[in-house]
Amino acid sequence: MNYGPLVFLTAFVALSASWFGFVLTPQIQIGRLTESTNTLNTAELYPKARPGQAAQGLQVYRANGCAACHTQQTVQEGTSIDVYLLEVGTNAAAVATALVNANVGFTRIDDPGFFLNLPKNILPGTTIEAAKRAFKGAQSAGAKAQIRINPQGPDIARHWGVRGSVAADYLFDQPVMLGSQRVGPDLSNVGARLPDVNWHLLHLYAPQQVVKGSLMPPHRFLFNVSKAGQHPSPDALQVPPEVAPAPGYEVVPKPEALALAAYLVSLNSSTPVFETPMTLASSATSTNSPAK
Amino acid sequence: MSQSIKRSAPASPSSSQPLLKEPAFPIWLIVFLTLLLYAGAVYFDGHGSGFHPQVYAPYSSYTQLADLQITGPPNPLEIGFRVYHKPSCVSCHQASGAGSPGQFPPLVGSEWVQEPEPGRIIRAVLNGLQGPISVKNQQYNNAMVAWGGVFSDEEIAAVITYIRQNKDWGNNAPAVTADRVKAVREKIKGHPGPFTADELLKIPAAD
Amino acid sequence: MNERSSNQSAATAPDEISLSCRGPLVMLFLHAAFWLVAASVLALVASLKFHSPAFLSGCAWLTYGRVHSAAVNAQLYGFAVQAGLGVALWIIAQTGRSPLPHPLGFIIGAAVWNLGVLSGIVAILAGQGTGYENLEFPFYSALLLFLGFLVVGSGALLAIHSRRERSLTPAHWFLIAALFWFPWILSGAYLLLTVWPVRGLMQSMVVWWFGGNLTFVWLSLVGLAALFHFIPQILGRPLHSRQMALFTFWTLLFFGSWTGIPSTAPVPAWIPALSAVMTLLTLVTLLSAWTNLRQTNSGGQPLPGNLAPLRFLLFGLGMFQLAGLMRIVLSLPVLGHITSFTWFAAAQIQLQSFGFFSMVMLGAVYFIFPRLMGTGLSCTKAPLRHFWLAAVGCLLVALPWALGGVAQGLKLADASIPFMVISHSTLSFLRVSSLGEVLILVCNLMFAMNLLMTTTRCASTFFLPAFLAITAQTPKAEVKP
Repeated sequence: MNYGPLVFLTAFVALSASWFGFVLTPQIQIGRLTESTNTLNTAELYPKARPGQAAQGLQVYRANGCAACHTQQTVQEGTSIDVYLLEVGTNAAAVATALVNANVGFTRIDDPGFFLNLPKNILPGTTIEAAKRAFKGAQSAGAKAQIRINPQGPDIARHWGVRGSVAADYLFDQPVMLGSQRVGPDLSNVGARLPDVNWHLLHLYAPQQVVKGSLMPPHRFLFNVSKAGQHPSPDALQVPPEVAPAPGYEVVPKPEALALAAYLVSLNSSTPVFETPMTLASSATSTNSPAK
Repeated sequence: MSQSIKRSAPASPSSSQPLLKEPAFPIWLIVFLTLLLYAGAVYFDGHGSGFHPQVYAPYSSYTQLADLQITGPPNPLEIGFRVYHKPSCVSCHQASGAGSPGQFPPLVGSEWVQEPEPGRIIRAVLNGLQGPISVKNQQYNNAMVAWGGVFSDEEIAAVITYIRQNKDWGNNAPAVTADRVKAVREKIKGHPGPFTADELLKIPAAD
Repeated sequence: MNERSSNQSAATAPDEISLSCRGPLVMLFLHAAFWLVAASVLALVASLKFHSPAFLSGCAWLTYGRVHSAAVNAQLYGFAVQAGLGVALWIIAQTGRSPLPHPLGFIIGAAVWNLGVLSGIVAILAGQGTGYENLEFPFYSALLLFLGFLVVGSGALLAIHSRRERSLTPAHWFLIAALFWFPWILSGAYLLLTVWPVRGLMQSMVVWWFGGNLTFVWLSLVGLAALFHFIPQILGRPLHSRQMALFTFWTLLFFGSWTGIPSTAPVPAWIPALSAVMTLLTLVTLLSAWTNLRQTNSGGQPLPGNLAPLRFLLFGLGMFQLAGLMRIVLSLPVLGHITSFTWFAAAQIQLQSFGFFSMVMLGAVYFIFPRLMGTGLSCTKAPLRHFWLAAVGCLLVALPWALGGVAQGLKLADASIPFMVISHSTLSFLRVSSLGEVLILVCNLMFAMNLLMTTTRCASTFFLPAFLAITAQTPKAEVKP
């Protein structure tokens, strides 16, 4: 059993195989992504690099190991397809007949109040083929319908994100910190959920004051408590009396705290992308609203 | 191979007793590995999506993904619906608009939402709302964040229209225009922080 | 004196081979013991934060995120890899029947390695960590680790090359592969993360690839090498089947290197799917190692005085199975989605790195150390006490995490349960695990003290007279300014 070189060769082949499979191939597939157009609004490019202060905040997030307790990935478990009837048009009976003829399991024709209170989800949780048949049938009868694609999963139901995370969401971050523990909530879309910088600052200073029962340690080392003096700082944080410093003192966020808050507010992955089709929560500036 | 084993056996410190005979390799291990390989191949065939770079879980093929790329005609309430579910409003007021007892007031049937003139609700959405508020004779006490810096006038108008006209909730009040939001934004420039319910009540609704 | 008699087999004077190992191994083991204690102190501090979030929160250096990753890295690089290297050198020298060449080279390599670990841990606590899981050390620390490993590893390869007993044992295959594996993956990962940085999620791919190859493949290679070497030696009988050991080796390399991508990873679907299949295939690695070692062990009696090392090794073997099974659960599509992001994953890491690897290393060190020093351990009863404390401590950490993690995962999958309720429901499990962390700290302290006292006793017996003789000749020249 004198196979030293063979052992070396085996190890080399095995490791190179996994390197080709899990490093080189993905690099060819996702390592060269660039900004591309938003699938619903072709005027908007996605993803965009974070603005300067938020990019600095990413480094504060890294330095303090925030990723030990927070993930940044929304997991999508499935997709539900709904058909909404928006307007019934002039001939409700024809629409009903068309829907029944579309053979999509639609049987609500006998209910006279069915076409009131539009828009209404007439085919919840259907297949895409049935949805397309129903859509065509409704349109041919003069009604307006819409197919809605809704990403599903517990993370999405918790409003942690609106769709599954994809590689493009992380394109410009260095380092990417996906996290592997949910001691605290997922942050992949926290900027859309909580867009208020002051909320985040107060939350960093005194988490339990903002979120009752929070397990997050306060991050007071990101703040200076200093004498207010003649000219109080314009950046001073409005803190509730329970955690306020002694009278005459004020809590001023350090640049790190401001950067971290700016970073958290910039975490937003609600732009629709090809990889996770959806109808909800696209950028509202799309469609036909005039420019600001 | 067997020769080398015999040669190595007496010298190896791990075998102070002479090695008699290498036992036969257990065949069940090979059978088990083959079964696992087969099961793995079947699974990968179904979930591997042919190594396609754009197919992410839970989708299993590119055709399935391409089928779901749908852009229909926009719903009049669609923009508001999207803003509401961004998730901005929905985190507190819920998809059902029912809010949460004691903390976040309901939007369903709320007199604040359905005032004929939308001046107060626009202010609350733009700058946020702080402290106690009474809705449908129930007391609520929490803080609403300011959305004025996040959404454009069009988006604010759309989402307020959405909550005022949501028929699933039984709400029915006139739509809000972007110009109206813009006008209110100008008027409250001198009021940087969130409003309180009392402050709002002092403002004429038509303002 | 009864210490000596109970440790009879160990107390014989060390031969030329053991003497050549003494310097390097004492250096590696003492430093490893220091980092083991440091890691358990840091882990305990992190654990106490779940009793009160405000605990030590005023200081940036002691915030949870930093302390937690410092603990993980001290355990991995300070203890695991370092102790693994020491055990590897011992096995190589003993089975090759040739002394280690250039002991001073190993000592320098180990010093560079420890400088790397120290600078890395300080950097993490100072907020200079890289943010990549298991790769938190900044580039300069990793460079020191790489150089230190290169020196020690190439010395080990030289020792294999110049061995007098030419036939290779199963433990040799595992160790040769491990000696190449570590510098390959470390340099591969840091080159792609810092020197020619890849963009976006490719960083995570590199991190996962490295993590799987370090925490599963490398630890298993060295841990199994120790099991395949020491269990037969302690029992005084040959390994049951060399062919099965070869099978374990090949399946570990070819399947294990493809594991490590989480089932929830936001990358194209084929990547987690392929990783799940490969992780499932590591089941044959677990089964073959288990069958082989159980057959070797069945009905055997340990040589006198070696009960404690054997217990450590067998406990490690059991935890290797358990951790491997939990790893498979984490990678499967449905079960993995429930258990990922929960404390179940943390329990798996704890079992893999402490329950399996550290316990095997501790057993091996308890076996090696008396033979290395030519005297009994300073406290001979300590190893058995240590074993029971460590086993209970390890399970007291891992079991609450695993159970709490499953409960947490099931609740996370139900969106109607508010997140705050879920995080509070995990607290009671986490607080029980703090007790386990205390036990682990106590027994790590016992281990470090035992090694230190044995070393100083040996040093005073052998080196003090020599040292006094040298210093006695030139006292005046040094004292006068």
